[in-house]
Amino acid sequence: MVDNKQLKPEITALLNPVVDQLTRHQITGDKTIALEISHLLMRVISATRWSNPYDLVNTIRQVGVVLQAALPREFICGNIVRRVLSIIRVEIEENLELDPNSESNTMMSSIFSLLSTNNNTVKQESLIQSKKQSSDLRSIIIQGIRDLIDEIINVNEGLENMSADLIHDNEILLTPTPNSSTVLQFLIKARSKRKFTVLVTENYPNEIEQTHKFIKKLADNKIETILIPDTTTFAMMSRVGKVIVGSNTVFANGGCMSNSGVSNVVECAREHKTPVFAVAGLYKLSPLYPFNRNDLIKVGNSGKVLNYSDYELLENVDIITNPLNDYIPPENIDIYITNIGGFAPSFIYRIVLDNYKPEDNNLE
Amino acid sequence: MAPKKKKELDQDERFQAIVLTDSFFSRFMPLTAVTPRCLLPLANVPLIEYTLEFLAKAGVNEVYVMCSSHADQIQKYIDSSKWTHSSSPFTITTVMSLEARSVGDTMRDLDNRGLITGDFLLVSGDTVTNIDFSAAMAFHRRKKQHDKEHILTMILTPASPYHRTRSQIDSAAFVLDRNTDRCIYYHSVPPPNLPQTSVGLDPDLLEDVDELILRNDLIDCHIDICTPLVPQIFQDNFDYQLLRSDFVKGVLTSDLVKKTVYAYLTNGEEYAARVTSFLTYDAVAQDVISRWCYPVVPEVNLMPSHSYSYQFNHIYKEDKVILAQSCKIGNCTAIGNGTEILDGSSVSRSTIGRNCKIGKNVSITDSYIWDGVEIADNCVIHKSILAYNVTVHSDAEIVGSVVGHHVTVGRGRRLAVNSRLVETPIERESAGLDSFSDDERDQEVSPSVAVVVNDIDVVGVDGVGHLYVSEFEENDSEDSDSEFENTGSTDKMGTKMYQSFKLLNISDDSIASVSNKKRRRKTRRFSSNSVMSTDFERGELSEEEEDFAKEAVDTVTRSIENNHDLDTALLELNTLRMSMNVSYHEVRAATVEALTRRIGHFISTGTLGSKEATVKVFKSWGPLFNRQLFEPKDQVDLLMLLQSTCASGGYGGGFDGQVVLFWAIRTLYDDDIVEEDRILQWWNSEESAASADIRGATVRFIEWLQEAEEESD
Repeated sequence: MVDNKQLKPEITALLNPVVDQLTRHQITGDKTIALEISHLLMRVISATRWSNPYDLVNTIRQVGVVLQAALPREFICGNIVRRVLSIIRVEIEENLELDPNSESNTMMSSIFSLLSTNNNTVKQESLIQSKKQSSDLRSIIIQGIRDLIDEIINVNEGLENMSADLIHDNEILLTPTPNSSTVLQFLIKARSKRKFTVLVTENYPNEIEQTHKFIKKLADNKIETILIPDTTTFAMMSRVGKVIVGSNTVFANGGCMSNSGVSNVVECAREHKTPVFAVAGLYKLSPLYPFNRNDLIKVGNSGKVLNYSDYELLENVDIITNPLNDYIPPENIDIYITNIGGFAPSFIYRIVLDNYKPEDNNLE
Repeated sequence: MAPKKKKELDQDERFQAIVLTDSFFSRFMPLTAVTPRCLLPLANVPLIEYTLEFLAKAGVNEVYVMCSSHADQIQKYIDSSKWTHSSSPFTITTVMSLEARSVGDTMRDLDNRGLITGDFLLVSGDTVTNIDFSAAMAFHRRKKQHDKEHILTMILTPASPYHRTRSQIDSAAFVLDRNTDRCIYYHSVPPPNLPQTSVGLDPDLLEDVDELILRNDLIDCHIDICTPLVPQIFQDNFDYQLLRSDFVKGVLTSDLVKKTVYAYLTNGEEYAARVTSFLTYDAVAQDVISRWCYPVVPEVNLMPSHSYSYQFNHIYKEDKVILAQSCKIGNCTAIGNGTEILDGSSVSRSTIGRNCKIGKNVSITDSYIWDGVEIADNCVIHKSILAYNVTVHSDAEIVGSVVGHHVTVGRGRRLAVNSRLVETPIERESAGLDSFSDDERDQEVSPSVAVVVNDIDVVGVDGVGHLYVSEFEENDSEDSDSEFENTGSTDKMGTKMYQSFKLLNISDDSIASVSNKKRRRKTRRFSSNSVMSTDFERGELSEEEEDFAKEAVDTVTRSIENNHDLDTALLELNTLRMSMNVSYHEVRAATVEALTRRIGHFISTGTLGSKEATVKVFKSWGPLFNRQLFEPKDQVDLLMLLQSTCASGGYGGGFDGQVVLFWAIRTLYDDDIVEEDRILQWWNSEESAASADIRGATVRFIEWLQEAEEESD
């Protein structure tokens, strides 16, 4: 529930139901959340009236703050909000370029723009648009969000195309993230050209059901699939050709968030010099840096770890923690496979810069 | 939304929930003297928020909050809560059911108001849960298809018999049909310190049951999916007070009703609990903090103004918390906004509300500290609850105690384990609902409050507060201590509840009342077989009232003659009152009449003198009025009735109205059934002064009362 004084009531009315659904975990899954936020922002932009386009930017930023507060350890909301902000800013800047009075700084090379951030926000705050201009801008932005939605929906297509190039015949793969639909599509697509075996970790306790469904789907697609306990990862690793990891968020430093237990798997892979591929849609890229790792990890239901009816144990255990995800440092990932191609972790910052504006890294 | 579609929603998919805010028990006294139970903060969030959050998730469209005690507070809270916003997933309505004295009354009131349109969800306002309700609802629908007689689905959580979250007070064993989950029998299990009983099953119940299963490990948190028949059955059986031990047991064992009840067992990962006592308050608060109820955890910030965030080891902090560098924040702790903790203090397994000030070298463990508490240096707080704005001076030690609102504990005091403190002595229950409307009037039979004013002994010279002792505690505090040891539990907070339990088994016979507005008129008339004639001259009585007067006077007279116990008499009166649909005024009138006749009988037969007869009769039967007086004006009414009855005469030779009136009032006063304020109010009323001659003997008493009052002023 939003109690933000700065937002207009018509915006909060749009925002509240979504925030409630997010906090109640009624919308789950990265892709669903991303689409829901995109649609919400589209509605917000349709409902907002502005004369100065930077008012719109500020409104969207405030919406972003509220959405981040709803799911403090989920970065997907912030990513989408920042993507949309970037779309808006690009449009505003283009308008300015058309305007002969404004000085253009697009001639700067990328290396200079890296060094000189944030100086163009302040001076243009007092930009006034006519009604005609603002309605044009609105339709352009909404078209931009439509494109973003298309990108999110079709994220797997770009990924799948690379699968056959990355997987060899008779190779043994291991995936520790059976809840990722991207990984599933990637493997199924690869099967059309290659024959291979997939080991799937069990992911006790949070993802067991999803693991079983995942295995069923792989088996249905005639992929030889083996379910292994989480504990045997190290022992199996010597036979594994590649590890394929799905990710929740990819940070600008090249590290990423994934399911709990994945960190352990990639450490094993590193020990055996097994290559680790992380698959991620572009919308999962975040312009943030993972400064404090403890603040990144979501903690879930203790009941999954220890049965609540086990009274005697319960009384004597000091603390039960059920972390839902893991941070994976960039040095443990060899390559990111995104829908716009494969990149080394050290190159992620560059893609982030292409898609986000540094002004919006901090929304507050 | 198109209008047509909306209409369909109204008719078909409207799903209602009834929230019972009143438990009708006083296990949270003295805290519930000021705050209703459903607004007690659990992990710094009012309890009812957890329930409403569950309803929001369950997809409920309409919520009715049934309020009786502290109804104004609850209404005010709901009106200002986020649930009344336009974006709320359901409409919320507070229903004032002020006269309800039990869950049964509330259900009857519900039936009278005709709010229920279809199957509905019945929960109490102190439920904390994360169960997947859609699965339970699917179960309910499935069972309903198979079994036309299905009226109630109970949602139960498997635990273990001595689980900390399982209430030891009203725990119960369920006998279930293994194949169908049909509940065959319900058996209340006595708490561990009382002799255990066996479960007696009627062989008739076991017809067409292949395999049965007896479970004594279930947490029953009173989340029920009911059909509209449920309130009706309560209506038909007006002696049903409690949802489980009266209603469920009654339905299951009744030959007439022939309805079935099913039990839905949640899976092991789901959490459901009710906060019913200090023991479960502790357990549920710990569970919420250690994330058993995920996704209902503190950092979800159920209150819009909250800003909790999570840190490892289950530490939750709001935005502006000031912690000294050398203080230690241990596991499972929540700390509210504006709270300051100074050097060397340690906090673990506790919640601390907003704007608290914790001094240096304070140790707080397993405790619940509400908003605005100040704790000075070197204090030790262990397994205690400190309510709003408590002040604790330095070097004090509080272990296993409940400290009420605004109490100050003096320097260096050590509170005895299990003490409960209040700021001002709590008035007797019958003192009126305005100042003190209690969580429970069920215990009126055992006047639950007696105040010991030994201020300084308990809280010290610089303290403010009184020891709160309910009467039954005084009586059996000794043996309860030893019993407590036997249970082997380490939680001192739990002891109170064992004691309160003993009083509960006599609590199901209070005279219940139902709002008369929409009450169905019962056409049933008692065939009057009374031979006694009444000389009631109270204006024009309707036929029904006359019938009632006769019957009621007979009932009381019979009880006195046959020396029944009070409860039986009350139950009979209650039954009569419900069937005839009359007000308490008539009940009182009939009781007064019967008692006066009895006195007249003693006097005319020469057995006793006027004084002795009056004292004898009112001593033993006066407590009947305890269940007939609810508001201050009822007492005045009673006194007026006494006066007019004594004045009317006709009770045989030697009957001296003046003397009888005086001793009757005196006895009622001594037994704390009427208060001096009310007596004076009656005395000064015009109606009473109109027939002043009968009051002759009472003048002195009134003067004495007035003097006593002036002195105390």
